[in-house]
Amino acid sequence: MRKLRRKKTKPSASGPAVTTVVVMRLYIANNAPNSVRAVANLAAICKEHLQDKFKLEIIDVLEYPLRALADGILVTPSLAKVSPSPAAKIVGNLSDRSSVLHALGIKESVE
Amino acid sequence: MKSNLRMLDGNAPRPNAGLGFEGRILRLVKSAPERQAIASGQVDAVIDPATGKAFLLPDAQRALHKDQARIRSLLALSADWYWEQDEHYRFVSHTGAASGSSGIYDENIIGKTLRDSPFDSMSGADWQAHRRLLECRATFRDLELRCTDRAGEMRWVSISGEPSFDEQDQFKGYRGSMRDITLRKQSEALAQRPIRFACDTLDALAVQVCALDSAGTVIIANRPSGAFAAGTRGIGAGVPEGANYLEACDKARGNERMDGVAIAAGIRQVIAGDSPLFHHEYVCNSPAGRCWFNLTVTAFSGVGTARVVVLRENVTERKRQERRFGLEHKVAMADPVANSLLAALPRKDYQGLRAGLEPVTLTYGEVLFEPGEPIRHVYFPNDSLVSMLATVEGHEALEVGLVGHEGMVGISLALGIDVAPVRALVQGTGTAMRMEAARFHKAFQQCTPLQRGLYRYSHAMLAQARQTAACNRFHPVEARLARWLLMTRDRMRSDQFRLTQELLGNMLGVLRGAVTKAAGTLQKRKLISYSRGNISILHRKGLEAAACKCYRIIKNLQVSAPAWPEAVMGRL
Repeated sequence: MRKLRRKKTKPSASGPAVTTVVVMRLYIANNAPNSVRAVANLAAICKEHLQDKFKLEIIDVLEYPLRALADGILVTPSLAKVSPSPAAKIVGNLSDRSSVLHALGIKESVE
Repeated sequence: MKSNLRMLDGNAPRPNAGLGFEGRILRLVKSAPERQAIASGQVDAVIDPATGKAFLLPDAQRALHKDQARIRSLLALSADWYWEQDEHYRFVSHTGAASGSSGIYDENIIGKTLRDSPFDSMSGADWQAHRRLLECRATFRDLELRCTDRAGEMRWVSISGEPSFDEQDQFKGYRGSMRDITLRKQSEALAQRPIRFACDTLDALAVQVCALDSAGTVIIANRPSGAFAAGTRGIGAGVPEGANYLEACDKARGNERMDGVAIAAGIRQVIAGDSPLFHHEYVCNSPAGRCWFNLTVTAFSGVGTARVVVLRENVTERKRQERRFGLEHKVAMADPVANSLLAALPRKDYQGLRAGLEPVTLTYGEVLFEPGEPIRHVYFPNDSLVSMLATVEGHEALEVGLVGHEGMVGISLALGIDVAPVRALVQGTGTAMRMEAARFHKAFQQCTPLQRGLYRYSHAMLAQARQTAACNRFHPVEARLARWLLMTRDRMRSDQFRLTQELLGNMLGVLRGAVTKAAGTLQKRKLISYSRGNISILHRKGLEAAACKCYRIIKNLQVSAPAWPEAVMGRL
């Protein structure tokens, strides 16, 4: 179960479930600079746009390289959206907010 | 650090590996977005499908190396020693500044478990608990152990450890750090010393001390408070630490209600800061008898939540002494009127006797002398009552005379006999004037008025004994009881006195059952009330009518007995 220790699983907000839960996997390399940045960037995006409606699994490729290969991941950090379909993949430290939102299928609200 | 980093140290290409390295990446990564990310420096690692291993790009590798070095130096700052154990919890390695220098953690520890090491502060149960923790593969922190080092000094260490696993998640053993905390422990012990002294002192006090917070909750109580709370009744009883003192006072019922309300109000005033001090003295009826308490509440301005300190002192002994002293003082003030025999003496003669007289308190149940014993003192009762009992072998004692303020105990001395013919038993607590036998003998020889008084009194006593003997033989128990109660009343100068049925049986020469029956009849006729040994005469005239004629006869015999001197003595 150690591979799941950083998995963030929260129940959806109370009330009728109208939105689907976004399931993601983030592949990182330990505490390397881009990996740390990617985790922070993704956390900020999730907090702002998804609140509780997401499931995120963070996989360290230095520990579990074969999992990354099985998912077709060659470079880290990489974020893979598993569901809802279509599946999407984005490479890099996730500092380009709009492309991350686009990959996750979230429409950026204009204030 | 994680094992995969060690793998990278050995296998990953060195930074600045040149074109070969870049070529390898170009060969592995073919898609444009990934190559772009690499070019813009946003990638940390690439996975080689051929080897199934990830390798770090140069920048990431440098950053991780730096990270690792930083953590190592932080670790070195926080601990004296690092250790690793195998899967059987035996030490396999140890490193650190303190290693080998102090004698606790030297090379000898290799191959031993923590339990085999010379730590002596843990009990068998403690070790078992620790072992259970290890079996669960739990992380333990700050396990504090004591040992004696090579120099014979006592040292303390704090050990923390976590389990380690290999790549297949198999348990490999424990690893962790250890710190020497001897200095901290020493200073803690030093800091504890004044606190312990203060606590021990509080516990050793005879007074009950407790501290209350602003809500009246007992924060801390010394040992006497705990003993009181657990054992005795009364206000403040059953208020252990954590309970509310004010609530306990508010809940007081019966006789204690007024005191409870007063105490609660006083404590609240001090808590509110309206008054710096509150003082209250009150009585509790505990199983051991009446207890007097002195309660002092003072404002507390120390650190913490405590607002007031409540001090309760059991002042029963002092109170009793005060009352006794007060009694003696009263006797002295009332002097010489209290005893009728003494009061009848001319002033000059009394002054001559006065130096030999000392006031004493006679207590209910006290035996002044037994038959056959030499008479050491004579007693002139003031408000006490003494019964003369004749003892007959095989029977309970029988009363043959009753001496109160009108007479003297030890009349045989006046007749030249210095051995007691009867038992003198105190029936009513009160005071008397006492004189030594030798002194009395001398005074008796010299003082004619005293001689006259005592001859007349001994005549009356003889007549009383004769009349009582006849009365006990012929009159019904009820009439005898009424007679005896009236005689007692005259001598005690009080309508209320104490006596048990058993003693009453002795007085009248009948069984307890008969006394109960007779007392019940008198009570039904509302002449007396009787409860738990306390008798009250409710209707004197009625009781006189119920008594046999012997009462009048005996009363008329009392020569020179003055009328009831109401003002002289009020019983306390």
